[in-house]
Amino acid sequence: MSPMEQVPLWAAIPVSLLLIIGGLLCVTGALGLLRLSNFYQRIHGPALINTLGAGCFLIASMLFFTVSQSRPVIHELLITVAVLLTAPATTMMLARAAVSRDRRSHRPGVPPHPGQAEGEVHTGSRKE
Amino acid sequence: MSSLVLIVLLPFLGSCLAALLPANARNWEAWLAGSVTLGCAVLALLQYGAVAGGDVLRTTVSWLPQYGLNLIFRMDGFAWLFTLLVSVIGFLVVLYARYYMSPEDPVPRFFSFLLAFMGAMLGVVLSGNLIQLVLFWELTSLTSFMLIGYWHHRADARRGARMAFTVTATGGLALFAGMVILGQIVGSYDLDDVLVAGDLVRAHDGYLWVLGLVALGALTKSAQFPFHFWLPRAMAAPTPVSAFLHSATMVKAGVFLLIRFWPVLAGTEAWSLIIGGAGLATLVIGAFLAIFQHDLKGLLAYSTISHLGLITLLLGIGTPLAAVAAIFHTINHATFKASLFMAAGIIDHETGTRDLRQLGGLRHLMPITTTLAMVAAAAMAGVPLLNGFLSKEMFFAETIDVSGSMNWGLPLAATLAGLFSVTYSLRFIHEVFFGPPARDLPRVPHEPPYWMRFPIEALVLACLVVGVVPGLTIGPYLHLAVVSVLGGATPEYSLSVWHGFNLPLLMSVAALGGGVLLYLVLEKCLPVRSLDKVPLLHRFDGQREFERVLMAVTGFAGRVQHRLTSQRLQPQLMWLVLVTLIAGLLPSLRGVTDLRELPMALDPAFAMMWLIGGICAVAAAYQAKYHRLAALALVGGTGLVVCLTFAWFSAPDLALTQLAVEVVTTVLILLGLRWLPRRLEPKELGIQASLRDRVRRSRDFLIATLGGGGMALLAYLVLTRDQSESIADFFLEKALPEGGGTNVVNVILVDFRGFDTFGEIAVLGIVALTVYALLRRFRPAPESIHLSQQQDDPEGYTPSKDAEEGSLLVPGLFMRALMPVLMVVSIYLFMRGHNMPGGGFVAGLVMSVAIILQYMVGGTEWVEEKLPIRPHVWISSGLLLALLTGLGAWVFGYPFLTTHSPHPVLPLVGEVPLPSAFLFDLGVFSLVVGATVLVLIALGHQSVRSHRSSAKAGDTPDENRQRGAIRWS
Repeated sequence: MSPMEQVPLWAAIPVSLLLIIGGLLCVTGALGLLRLSNFYQRIHGPALINTLGAGCFLIASMLFFTVSQSRPVIHELLITVAVLLTAPATTMMLARAAVSRDRRSHRPGVPPHPGQAEGEVHTGSRKE
Repeated sequence: MSSLVLIVLLPFLGSCLAALLPANARNWEAWLAGSVTLGCAVLALLQYGAVAGGDVLRTTVSWLPQYGLNLIFRMDGFAWLFTLLVSVIGFLVVLYARYYMSPEDPVPRFFSFLLAFMGAMLGVVLSGNLIQLVLFWELTSLTSFMLIGYWHHRADARRGARMAFTVTATGGLALFAGMVILGQIVGSYDLDDVLVAGDLVRAHDGYLWVLGLVALGALTKSAQFPFHFWLPRAMAAPTPVSAFLHSATMVKAGVFLLIRFWPVLAGTEAWSLIIGGAGLATLVIGAFLAIFQHDLKGLLAYSTISHLGLITLLLGIGTPLAAVAAIFHTINHATFKASLFMAAGIIDHETGTRDLRQLGGLRHLMPITTTLAMVAAAAMAGVPLLNGFLSKEMFFAETIDVSGSMNWGLPLAATLAGLFSVTYSLRFIHEVFFGPPARDLPRVPHEPPYWMRFPIEALVLACLVVGVVPGLTIGPYLHLAVVSVLGGATPEYSLSVWHGFNLPLLMSVAALGGGVLLYLVLEKCLPVRSLDKVPLLHRFDGQREFERVLMAVTGFAGRVQHRLTSQRLQPQLMWLVLVTLIAGLLPSLRGVTDLRELPMALDPAFAMMWLIGGICAVAAAYQAKYHRLAALALVGGTGLVVCLTFAWFSAPDLALTQLAVEVVTTVLILLGLRWLPRRLEPKELGIQASLRDRVRRSRDFLIATLGGGGMALLAYLVLTRDQSESIADFFLEKALPEGGGTNVVNVILVDFRGFDTFGEIAVLGIVALTVYALLRRFRPAPESIHLSQQQDDPEGYTPSKDAEEGSLLVPGLFMRALMPVLMVVSIYLFMRGHNMPGGGFVAGLVMSVAIILQYMVGGTEWVEEKLPIRPHVWISSGLLLALLTGLGAWVFGYPFLTTHSPHPVLPLVGEVPLPSAFLFDLGVFSLVVGATVLVLIALGHQSVRSHRSSAKAGDTPDENRQRGAIRWS
């Protein structure tokens, strides 16, 4: 018996849709990580997975288990909070590390440290 | 508890107690040690009634009865006499030491070792089992090492202690071997069985081995020629130690052993040759050397050697009458030598020097000490009406007795040695107390405090009383000891002072007269004072030989080590893996291998996951040499797959733990990676690996592949085995009813296998402390000692400043917010551990992850300012809690670590399962937190230190920045 047969159709359709959309978002994020040209662009891929992708899965999970167990199941909110707390922190630290590295090697287009002379900011240039 | 056990146990207990007293508590220490020694003496005295009746008291404490190994304490007349001797002289030495030790000396150590030594000595005396005797024997070597090296800031004390220990402990090993052979011959290690089996032993083929090995043990301990050299060097010890060790105990242990086994081993030609020969040589050489010593204690040391030689020679002679004389002289020597050492100590204490050439005329300043020392020295020289005279005359009589009318060698040698002993006694008294008063002494001498002199008075009185009326004083006790050793062979002997005019008396007179004459001649013709070297015998330098042998042995060991071992890690690992591989393959060679199918169909998703994990693992191995960071990330991928595998196969406990372990390990390795210098690829260096290197790498690759493949195969074989007969069922069945928990893994950890877990957490604590200790002395490679590029911010942002206001402000805030959440998770995991996935270990790891996070975003200094963590306290309290929980079971009469699962009903909450394993788990939790954080802090502090050392090295920030900076072009 497939798990989806445990829930009525009205619930199965949104759950399936959310899972498919989440999966597509994940693939998109992964492709972005693979294909985008520099670090500052690539970092958006995992962010997409972390937020939208994971969000879809979490909602799908809540819906599925609430309906199948006939009681509100909202543990996923805890996961949401944890992801919301950690994902930005990780991303930020990664980005800071990249900025610091680029500044050190005097890479053109990297913003200087606050309080120093402003430079031109353009993060879109490809790696030469 | 039996009083025999108590006699041995009491000094050890006192030793532990003495060690705990404060450093300046001289009086408390003396009271404690005094009451312990006196207690032992009284306990021994109380046994007199039973022992005098001819009984042998025995107390057996069962240990390994099936191997004939029990703790047996046994007291016969001889052991009784020795016990009394040791404890009474011990008491006097303690009293003396109270005044001798200066307030600056750390007395707890002194009294602690002294009492432990006394306990070991009493253990030797009262042992009723051969193995037990050797154990206490080695304990005396060990504790005497501590005592001789008491002033360990002095090089001569250290050297003397090491020499004494090396010689006597080596002898102890020989003795051990001898005792094992003896026990095998007799068929029992029980002393009572051995003592009656003398004929069997002497007729046995292994007799010579036993004799040689036991003699080696006894002769080294008793400082007999040629092993005598350690004793004079042991004079670097504090004088109370010398007085105790070299009168009644340490060196007497060897004599004790020979007397103890006299009924078993004596009476053969080999015995007389080995024991008697060594004794004779020691007697004459020791007495001769003693004459030419300039150090007061050195003179006494050589005279001790000589007197021990006398006793050994008496035992070697092998007649029962000689054995009587040996026992008698053992006691006499103990009394007068202890008092002489103490007198020497007083002189040293009062004048500040022990050099005979400096001292003189002290009789005017210290009349009482002079008198006492003169009486004791006269006893040593064998002057009539003193105890030394009696035993020495018995000795002379024996030498005549065994030599017959034709052979005059032995009596002549004995007379010569007696003559020498008169000379050195005379020199001791004359040069210290008579002659012109010494000038420019380091201190102005005066009489010592009364209680410092009291021990000498008591001992000298004993010498005198025994010397005048031996039959009334020592007679019955000596007889008791003699009968218990010799049994039916006890001869008729007379202790009276006057035997009429006979040959022994003539020898005594000759020795006395000759000794005085020799001293006068030496004074006139050969000024002893100006001699630097001992005439004739200075070439026999035992110390030099000892050091030569030691050097040769050390060099040999070094060469062997150099040949057979390697300091490099790679060959060691290669051999380890190879041996494991072969050992693992051995069973398969016998045809046990049967490869069965895995019992379940492979899920494609699972297979995919494992493919990813495998790729990560192989890639990590591939990258490990030049790109460590990438390798670490890849290893993390493999670890995640392992976690998922555990979860997949319904082992949430393992999955949780694995996850936490992965996180912590990754962070710790990251911290360590910073100290590995960067490795350049051959391409960058423009070199090519030689053929030899390629061959070696291929070989290593092959071994690695085989090793990994073998492990996989092994795992596969185990997994496909029939699982019907496993211990798992037992645990699954008993976990709830007997362990009080539904989480079987946790119940196994804290209950069924609680003792294992206890050992494991102890190891974990030890490892953490070791890592900490190693890192305290960590010296990084020169390439990585400088600040890393990442640590050196051009704008001068330190990590802590960065966390306060810099780029890490926002992540830092997030992580700080996460800390309480993680703590709640940790507590939650801990609380539910007994019934649901979780437990102390995981909870501890989660807790340390919470702390690690703070370190990561805040930097070491920032966190330690805000969050003082004392990992040592966590570790020790965790270990203590686990231990106390385990011990708690004893209170209720159950074995160690028995779990109790009460279910108290609390108000509001209701029934709560509260097994004692819960407390144990709390200990595990605390220890895991402490150990993890300790390692983390130790590693984290390296960075702090590198900031400092970089500043010390004078690196300018620019230099740092240029070093290894990535060029972006």
